[in-house]
Amino acid sequence: MTTLSQQVSNRPIPNPKKSLITRLNMGTGLIVGIAFALATYYSMQTTLDDATLNFQRNNQVLLATMFMWSIGFLVGIGAFIGPFRWLIGKDLTAEEQLYLAGDGQGIKRYFKYCTDHKVVGIQYLWGVIAMLAVGGSMAMMIRTQLAQPGAKFITPSIYNSLVGLHGITMIVAMIIVATGPFGNFIMPIMIGAADMAFPRLNALSWWVLFTAIPVLCSAWFLGGIPTGWTAYAPLSVQAGPGMNAFIATIIIFAVSTAVAGANITATVISMRAKGMTWNRVPIFVIGATISVALAVPAFPTFMVAMIQTAMDRTFLTGFFDSNVGGSGWLYAHLFWIMGHPEVYVILLPGVAILMEIVPVFVRKPLFSYTAAVVGFAGIAGLSVLVWAHHMYMSGWLPMLNGPFMVTTEMISIPTGLIFLVILGTLWNGKPWLKVPMLGVYAFLWNMLIGGITGLYLSDVPADNYLHGSMYVTAHFHYTLMGAALTGAVAGLSYWYPKMTGRMLNERAGYISFWFVQIGFQILYLGMFIAGAEGQPRRVSDYAQMYANSNRISTFGAYLIGTGFIVLLWAVIHSWRNGVIAPMNPWGAKTLEWTVPYPVPLVNFDTPPVVTSDPYGYGKAVK
Amino acid sequence: MTNTKRAASAILSTLLGIAVVGAVGITLHTLSADALRGKLVATKSADTITVDGKNYPKASVTMGVYPDRATAVEHGSKPTKKDYVQYGPSNHVVLPAHTYVTMTLHVYDSGDKLNNPYFGKVVGTIGGTINIDGVDVSSVAPDAVQHTFTLHGLPTSSQDPLFVNVPLPHVEVNDKDEFIPTKDPGTNNKGHTVVFSFLTGGKGEYVFNCEYPCGDGTYANFGAAMGAYGYMSGKVTVA
Amino acid sequence: MSDHNDVHLEPTPGERFSKFLKRGDIRETLAWAAFYTAVFVVLGAYFYPKWMPTVMSTDMKAIERLMVVFTFISAPVCGFVMSIFTQTLRHRHKGDTPPPDGPMIRNNRLGVAVFSGVASLLTLTAVIYGLIELNSSAEAATKDAPNALVVEVTGNQWVWSFNYPSLGVESNMLNLPIDRPVIFRITSADVNHSFWPVQLGVKADANHLATTLAQTTPTKLGTIDVKCAELCGLYHAYMETSGEVMTVSDFNNWVTAQGGHSA
Ligand SMILES: [Cu+2]
Ligand SMILES: [Cu+2]
Ligand SMILES: [Cu+2]
Repeated sequence: MTTLSQQVSNRPIPNPKKSLITRLNMGTGLIVGIAFALATYYSMQTTLDDATLNFQRNNQVLLATMFMWSIGFLVGIGAFIGPFRWLIGKDLTAEEQLYLAGDGQGIKRYFKYCTDHKVVGIQYLWGVIAMLAVGGSMAMMIRTQLAQPGAKFITPSIYNSLVGLHGITMIVAMIIVATGPFGNFIMPIMIGAADMAFPRLNALSWWVLFTAIPVLCSAWFLGGIPTGWTAYAPLSVQAGPGMNAFIATIIIFAVSTAVAGANITATVISMRAKGMTWNRVPIFVIGATISVALAVPAFPTFMVAMIQTAMDRTFLTGFFDSNVGGSGWLYAHLFWIMGHPEVYVILLPGVAILMEIVPVFVRKPLFSYTAAVVGFAGIAGLSVLVWAHHMYMSGWLPMLNGPFMVTTEMISIPTGLIFLVILGTLWNGKPWLKVPMLGVYAFLWNMLIGGITGLYLSDVPADNYLHGSMYVTAHFHYTLMGAALTGAVAGLSYWYPKMTGRMLNERAGYISFWFVQIGFQILYLGMFIAGAEGQPRRVSDYAQMYANSNRISTFGAYLIGTGFIVLLWAVIHSWRNGVIAPMNPWGAKTLEWTVPYPVPLVNFDTPPVVTSDPYGYGKAVK
Repeated sequence: MTNTKRAASAILSTLLGIAVVGAVGITLHTLSADALRGKLVATKSADTITVDGKNYPKASVTMGVYPDRATAVEHGSKPTKKDYVQYGPSNHVVLPAHTYVTMTLHVYDSGDKLNNPYFGKVVGTIGGTINIDGVDVSSVAPDAVQHTFTLHGLPTSSQDPLFVNVPLPHVEVNDKDEFIPTKDPGTNNKGHTVVFSFLTGGKGEYVFNCEYPCGDGTYANFGAAMGAYGYMSGKVTVA
Repeated sequence: MSDHNDVHLEPTPGERFSKFLKRGDIRETLAWAAFYTAVFVVLGAYFYPKWMPTVMSTDMKAIERLMVVFTFISAPVCGFVMSIFTQTLRHRHKGDTPPPDGPMIRNNRLGVAVFSGVASLLTLTAVIYGLIELNSSAEAATKDAPNALVVEVTGNQWVWSFNYPSLGVESNMLNLPIDRPVIFRITSADVNHSFWPVQLGVKADANHLATTLAQTTPTKLGTIDVKCAELCGLYHAYMETSGEVMTVSDFNNWVTAQGGHSA
């Protein structure tokens, strides 16, 4: 019997001699991208009016160059072939579409404009790993500088750049850390779909994001950024040429998230298997969908803020310049209207992964599916009403501090539900402490600390003391790293068998887990103390009195760094040498465990029919 | 693959990873070391001086403010920053502790208005004055300043406070050629010579920066040379 | 469950509750929860005041109290979470095969309702307490305003400067007389900064061409560290100065020495 996927593989590829599609890949993308960039740079350098202020001129040239690189790369990799065909009234042939799906092209398809969601998932995974590695290394540099007072390691400008670039690299990485690899690779299989709703948009979202990576790196060679990842105006309007790299990165990234968000949402709404009613959708899918759906309205405001910053820098428009009637508060609003929902965009998929894991490893149904959905939806709904809690001290409108404090603290109610779902599932169970399950316990503790310290910060009088201090830094690392990243790492060890066909090295997984989690507690305990003692955040140097707490933090950071290197080794090593994984190593009931490895091109030979939710574990209680 | 081989691979890879991150750190550290172009150590003299009934040894140091790269060899090497104004010959000054330090600044730049007129006042020098081309003054008009030498640091229990603010008078010539200094600071009489003294406390690390908005074209004119480390900013070590 | 019931009467809610409390797993949970709650209460009450700097103003006092009270409010939540955390870990499944099936509990409406109710009540307590503190500091500010000392604070990249308009003094130090209300009028000469005299428990951003108000009353003699809490570029870390809360006569002497006139 030939399976559907074998039939698919035997189909002819488009004439390799003639078709342009077969010749385009990352290499042609790089060539065209660099050509576009160089052409833009030199033509603008020669034609731009010399009388324009140097500062403005530089910004115009650099921004244009960066955007043209991005567009050029996408042209070169063939992202616009489909739209171009539509323009001339045609579409891709069936063979060409199959070719784009990477059918039968082995490892090469990972370097092409490939529409297969599984390929895109792996591309995202390595993209995320690279970003986390770079962002993590920057964190090591930051902690090395702060290991002792006196700024003995690096200059304040390099330090400030590290702080800002660590921030934005990690934020971007964390936004896609779960929805990128797992949302693309696993989620369509989980809902019983053959692919995403818009496969070409899927490829587009990854490759657009890819073009942002060199742009962000270029910030280093343009003098760095002094603003931190919040890029507050007017400091960002004053900043040097490196700021253009930041602006371009955000604009490009916002396009990518919009595309990815629309695609994932559409897929979940329209591509679910027969019988998968809304109350049978796996909870990870719910969490990831709410997360990307929240990102869709949130990111454009950041993009707009960046466009305005760019205009202030290139044409002196003065959106944020109070000298000509602009306002820094405008920036702060636009930023935080994105900024607060964004933390939940990061958090929800991570939590949802853990909710997917708990039932499997305690062999009990997910406790109160409704509470989980209400919790997610409640968090997402409230999160758009709380942004000005970052502006209590800004002087913008102190009258509204009270209302924003109320909405912010109300978030602890749906967050409580999230806890309840996990605790209720654990309740009276006998957890099987495999690597994925350890993440659940780490999450409970970290999110507890992160949540409670958030309660202090949400309170206006207490925030009078804590705002802008190291306490805030420790708080949000507990939520974003301690909770969300822990969830994503748990997800990686959970789905690794499905994505690679092999088990992730277990011993390395445990070693990494303990290094990371112990180091994490040490690092941020030190940082909470430094913050409570009154050390401001983002400082390249500090007074002697904070030396002890900072030394403790740096020690913890090195443990985390070591732990993640061990994890990286495990991921690479097990990919080639790991124990071959059975189809369903954890005995889970979601659909992705019903397909073999390698997952066939169209995922399922026969479209699955769903008759219950995937949490039917356990013995019935009398 | 045997367990031993696997463990060896894991440990070696981990060490390699640490080495890679370490190498990045060393690179950044090396880059940082150049940023201030060496140390400028104050010259100690055998004399002592009595201030408020206490005896202090004396030391002196001479620096300049150079309007652009073309006029000073010591100036920054980055071509994109060639028109950045800069303190020189170094931006890292080393002063002896508990000493009466006399600083001489040769300054050649034009200037305009301060963002905050407060920095037109002399603060923290002996007698609250500075000597400009032989005349003692206690302030400079806030719209006739070219730069300021503003020395400060973290208030910390482990080092003595030190705050000095010296406004540097601008050169009232629009034609830059007339006050371009030569390589040897102080030989061109079109600039100003500003002399002032202050007392250092115990050992400690301080920074100085300029409070005159000379980062042209940027918001509040505090970007460019003002925002790039080692141009209008630097550090002072009291040793 | 119905081992000794010969009369088929529905148990009253009270009976059910006391039976519920006698269950082994419930008792274990409650014991752990009580233990962890106590731990968090002790930690909060002990460590925050220990870590936070000397209380030198009315506002700082309120802040420290708030930190402690909030720890008390959240302690039961921590207790509950850590209780189940500990309890399930103690009963963990060992071995390389999946554990046996657990009880198939899909929901417990009463449990969810009680949990949400308690969580909401605790949140409400925190909200109300916060609002009361907010209001009382605002009231104190209005009451104290007439005889307050006005200090104009300017953030400059990367130095603070202070102007005492009623005294004719400008300084790089923030010196204040004890027990007299002080109003800070905060602005910036360039980018955003955040004025933070640490021991006074005051924080307010400095914005260009706008004035932000903050108010407090220093209540203890000693040194104040003034910091910047908003990243403002190159030397943000060094944008610090100090000041002192002084006796009234010391303060007047300082004002005179600065060439100002006594208040
Ligand atoms: Cu927020
Ligand atoms: Cu200057
Ligand atoms: Cu600052």
